[in-house]
Amino acid sequence: MACVYIPVQNSEEEVRVALDQLPRDASDILDILKAEQAPLDLWLIIAREYFKQGKVEQFRQILEEGSSPEIDEYYADVRYERIAILNALGAYYSYLGKIETRQREKEEHFILATQYYNKASRIDMHEPSTWVGKGQLLLAKGEVEQAFSAFKIVLEGDRDNVPALLGQACVEFNRGRYADSLELYKRALQVYPNCPGAVRLGIGLCRYKLGQFQKARQAFQRVLELDLENVEALVALAIMDLQANDAAGIQKGMDKMRRAFEIYPYCAMALNYLANHFFFTGQHFLVEQLTETALAVTNHGPTKSHSFYNLARSYHSKGDFEKAGFYYMASIKEINKPQEFVFPYYGLGQVKLKSGDFRTALSNFEKVLEVYPDNCETLKALGHIYVQLGQVDKAQEFMRKATKIDPRDAQAFLDLAELLISSDTGAALDAFKTARNLLEKGGQAVPVEVLNNIGVLHFEREELELALESFNKALGDGVWLALTGNKPKPYVIEASASILDYKDMQVFHRLEEEGLAVELPWNKVTVVFNLARLHEQLHNTGIANILYRLILFKYPDYIDAYLRLAAIAKARNNLQLSIELVNEALKVNDKCPNALSMLGDLELKNDDWVKAKETLRSASDATDGKDSYAILSLGNWNYFAAIRNEKRNPKLEATHLEKAKELYTRVLVQHTDNLYAANGAAVVLAEKGQFDVSKDIFTQVQEGASGSVFVQMPDVWINLAHIFFAQGNFALAVKMYQNCLRKFYYNTDSQILLYLARTHYEAEQWQECKKTLLRAIHLAPSNYTLRFDAGVAMQKFSTSTLQKEKRTADEVRSTVAELENAVRIFSQLSAASNLHLHGFDEKKINTHVEYCKHLLEAAKVHREAAEREEQQNRQKQEAARQLALAEEARRKAEEQRKHLLERRKQEDEQKRLQQAEEHFKREQWKSSNPGSRRRDRSEIDDEEGGHSEKRRRKGGKRRKKDKNKSRYERDDEEPDMMDDREEMEDEDANRNYRESTTRMNDQDDDNGENAQDLLAAAGLEDSDMEDETAAAPSSAAGRRRRAWSESDDDEPVQRRPESSPVRGNSAELQESDGEIREDNRKPNGGDALDDDED
Amino acid sequence: MAKSMKLAGLKSVENAHDESVWTATWVPATGSRPPLLLTGSLDETVKVWRPDELDLVRTNTGHCLGVVSVAAHPSGVIAASAALDSFVRVFDVDTNATIATLESPPSEVWQMQFDPKGTTLAVAGGGSASIKLWDTATWRLVATLSIPRPEGSKPSEKSGCKKFVLSVAWSPNGRRLACGSMDGTISVFDVARAKFLHHLEGHYMPVRSLVFSPEHDSRKLYSASDDGHVQIHDVEGKAIIGAMSGHTGWVLSVDVSPDGEAIATGSSDKTVRLWDFKMRAAIQVMSNHTDQVWAVAFRPGGRGDRLASVSDDKSISLYHCS
Repeated sequence: MACVYIPVQNSEEEVRVALDQLPRDASDILDILKAEQAPLDLWLIIAREYFKQGKVEQFRQILEEGSSPEIDEYYADVRYERIAILNALGAYYSYLGKIETRQREKEEHFILATQYYNKASRIDMHEPSTWVGKGQLLLAKGEVEQAFSAFKIVLEGDRDNVPALLGQACVEFNRGRYADSLELYKRALQVYPNCPGAVRLGIGLCRYKLGQFQKARQAFQRVLELDLENVEALVALAIMDLQANDAAGIQKGMDKMRRAFEIYPYCAMALNYLANHFFFTGQHFLVEQLTETALAVTNHGPTKSHSFYNLARSYHSKGDFEKAGFYYMASIKEINKPQEFVFPYYGLGQVKLKSGDFRTALSNFEKVLEVYPDNCETLKALGHIYVQLGQVDKAQEFMRKATKIDPRDAQAFLDLAELLISSDTGAALDAFKTARNLLEKGGQAVPVEVLNNIGVLHFEREELELALESFNKALGDGVWLALTGNKPKPYVIEASASILDYKDMQVFHRLEEEGLAVELPWNKVTVVFNLARLHEQLHNTGIANILYRLILFKYPDYIDAYLRLAAIAKARNNLQLSIELVNEALKVNDKCPNALSMLGDLELKNDDWVKAKETLRSASDATDGKDSYAILSLGNWNYFAAIRNEKRNPKLEATHLEKAKELYTRVLVQHTDNLYAANGAAVVLAEKGQFDVSKDIFTQVQEGASGSVFVQMPDVWINLAHIFFAQGNFALAVKMYQNCLRKFYYNTDSQILLYLARTHYEAEQWQECKKTLLRAIHLAPSNYTLRFDAGVAMQKFSTSTLQKEKRTADEVRSTVAELENAVRIFSQLSAASNLHLHGFDEKKINTHVEYCKHLLEAAKVHREAAEREEQQNRQKQEAARQLALAEEARRKAEEQRKHLLERRKQEDEQKRLQQAEEHFKREQWKSSNPGSRRRDRSEIDDEEGGHSEKRRRKGGKRRKKDKNKSRYERDDEEPDMMDDREEMEDEDANRNYRESTTRMNDQDDDNGENAQDLLAAAGLEDSDMEDETAAAPSSAAGRRRRAWSESDDDEPVQRRPESSPVRGNSAELQESDGEIREDNRKPNGGDALDDDED
Repeated sequence: MAKSMKLAGLKSVENAHDESVWTATWVPATGSRPPLLLTGSLDETVKVWRPDELDLVRTNTGHCLGVVSVAAHPSGVIAASAALDSFVRVFDVDTNATIATLESPPSEVWQMQFDPKGTTLAVAGGGSASIKLWDTATWRLVATLSIPRPEGSKPSEKSGCKKFVLSVAWSPNGRRLACGSMDGTISVFDVARAKFLHHLEGHYMPVRSLVFSPEHDSRKLYSASDDGHVQIHDVEGKAIIGAMSGHTGWVLSVDVSPDGEAIATGSSDKTVRLWDFKMRAAIQVMSNHTDQVWAVAFRPGGRGDRLASVSDDKSISLYHCS
């Protein structure tokens, strides 16, 4: 065993110290060293020996003593040894700092190390070993660039300084300059060929990083040749084997790992890899043990992170999410940037998603995305999280990206489609279809719910044929084919004819008897329901009926099937049966809000006000006041109640209106896009006269309601029309009513026709008003109010015609005819009142009869007068015509005469010319050409003159006639400038016309006075009459329906409520829509996406 | 089914009337002329048309308010028209000479039909909740078949309103009369005994058109209702034999071809549909009208190879059926 000899001062003797027998207490040896003033190198050797033996405390004690101020003083000229001691201490503290995990202690160690090195530098600032030490310290502190300068200083002095070369290699490695690092390692090896294997390890790592795997492998193997038990080389080789990623490689890799483990069971990296392996083989117990050991033996951040990750993953896969989350977190704490090791972020994201901590999950997945921006799984996870956070747009963005990155990922398309359902049905449909096609191409069975969803989306887009196709595909073969097919059995047909015996299940028993399995798998119930719903939409009521019954046959608790049957019965106005069916549903669940709401609605239709309110209340209570439909219905109830009595109680009305408004508002607070609530609120506003605001709302609701087959809101059109009406914009109101009638009712709604008639009435378009009412009567023959109104319209028409200052005999004649009709209508109503066919007061009707008869008498006088006048007019016109004819004849004769004259002149001229010519010829003076030419010209001139004359005359005449006509029509107009000549000619005729018009006007005046007199005589001036008619219907008309002829200012407002029952219906449609959607979501219930409120 | 009925448009007359055409019927052929088509309109006229070109033969005036119903005597010589003014005008088809003017106030008049032998004209009496029977020889009111009031209801109640009678149909043997009401009930009467027999249920909305299947002893009655359905009833057995749905609006009119094979309907959904009884399904949908189709009528006699339809769009259409 090695010994050191401490020379005894002032003698030749030496103290022998056996290095393996150093005393436990370092003070003993220190005493000797101090007493004998031993050379400092001995101090160092002994301290180092303590260190080797793991006696760190003694090591430190000796060196600290060896660097004390006394020693400095005493050994002032022993420079190198003093430096060596200081450097040793510096290195020691550097190491402590490097492995310390607690930040404060770490700092303290580094400070101490720095102090020792600085002290060493003060002794000799050029000592290379100090610089090397400083370089190592800086490396440990992570200050790579400064470390570089430190090593550089050494290497500039001695380019073959091995420790500096190794240090610098390390710096370059850390800087990522693997090629430079490799060069430095190589040089160290050249300078010092017998250096430890670790140098070759560095070479191997550099080559590995440079991608020179073969050479890296060779380097590691060389290390192993030199040192069979070099764990790092083994682990490195093992990792390379594992990365081959095939069975043989993994086998080889694991063998090496195991060997490394056997040699040195505390290599954290080997432990991690082993743990990783056992994770995949499912041996979680081993995973935990290995990683726990790894954690115990390493302080290297990334390695620890890996260990924690393994542990977390193990717990995660075992379903212990709490522990998994804890260890993922621990793993993340060891990482500076996600780029270093991103897996734990993903794991933590998953765990947090599971536990519903979406915000945290979100931030973790976002970190993963920073590193892998195109990772589909992460994109999908983020999509899900944003759905949960209600940020659908962002969710869609991520899902869309996922589908773009991997256009073959059917699941991604399905997820995207789910997301789009609520916002963009078209895009959702496309996504579903893509998913379906991908699945089909991949030979996979398309899930029933996907086909169902495709069907529902087609349904929603009114592509009913495509919807049918998809539902049929989803259902495949089954008993439903026997019910919906082309050739159903006769008893199936008979069974489907009526819902009346919905309880009769014989048809299914018969099918079973015939050997058909009447089966309905649970996952197809929804599809059958939707198919039935579709057949309803296609108006194949029989098929829908039998399909709902099939559902009830197999699943008697399927409430929605009862409710749809009830809805079919309700649509056919069979309220009793409908109520019975709803009650069947309530037997299954007496708190079912949908059933209760429907019952309430039916009771309202049955005029059972009190019951309806109770039922609607319980519907609302059943959902803790969260069911919009129930609240809306209660709002409607209050609204109806407010306008229910014809004798309005202003106080009660205000209360009900206020309550209605409150309820509508409550729905709007919960669902800002609820069209029905908005409509209701606007109606209340309109009731209060705030037409502009309500018009805005109605317009928006109208826009919102367009586009979906499930949202049919004729009410809002009617309400808008009412607003236009109330604001006096009759033309627009008419248009709006007509559009509504055409768009929603096939022009069959007599109530809207009544509104339309009322608008025509106000616009004084009597004929349109009457025609509209006749149409309404034709559609609703038993509504006697319409007849009364028609009578009033005709009466009003007649009155207004007779009051006109000017009217034609035809007008008067039609007035008489109209009055006769009015008399007949009122008389019939009067007679019918005996039979109690309607509720009008007989006296009032008789007043109308009497008034119309009076008017008729007057009108007959007018007619006679008009006819007389017409006769006279005709005679006059005839006279005028005769006159005109005579004039024409005279003019023609004149023309004829002129013409003759002209011709004679021409003939004379010609003769004269001929004579002249002959004369010329006779003279034999020049050639005859110029002469003949001149003659031609003169002829032409003459002709032209004649024509133009004629033309002017004609033009003049036309003008004259025009003037006469205008004078005839408006005789106060002064005659315009006239062509003098013509005025002279036509003076007589003009005078005649003028006279006749004056006469006519006189007559007009007379008639006008007569009419007024007659009216006065009848005691029925027009203004009074209005009151009369107003009073008539209101006193006795039906409870809810007042005749429109009541022309109060609040009339239009009063009408609006009539449309509100329709609103109820529409809301019910919305409800059924909800059912479908709900069902449509059901199949995907397992998904994380299914909780959102509709 | 080997043979399948099919409709092909032959001729359409746009603006056949100035206003909505509300009713149509065929006048059987006489010795001197072929069958004619009779139409009535809101424009207060009745027009007579000659097939297949639908040449206008005559325009009859004389009604006030809209013409709601026309009926032709089986002889083809006389016909009746009724309007909202509650008058029935009986006239000679070829001369337009008025034969009689009928009224029975305060009863309105709606659908009318001559019995198969031509001795009686049945008129749906609206709010009077009855069918009025007029003798075609004397033009006197011979009977009023009233729908009995539901038990327990007082005459003062307005329930009478609900039994407002809109439509009427004779059985082919002339023994039964059926009438349809606003509340959807169909009432069946024994004509010989002038006795109410029973109601046929199933509709709860107005029944605007009724027609018996043409076989002589037929018990099969087709009813068209605002509920969008045509129901097939066994008149004697009170049962519903079948229902046909598909119209998206009110079914305003139903008629059966003379051979009983095909059923045609007109609806407010603007379509004319041809149905197969056995399948209870529509076999053809004609969409040439642009507004409610108020009446469809197969030409009587022989093969019944013509169908006419009239509409609120003022037009008349004639189809060939094969």
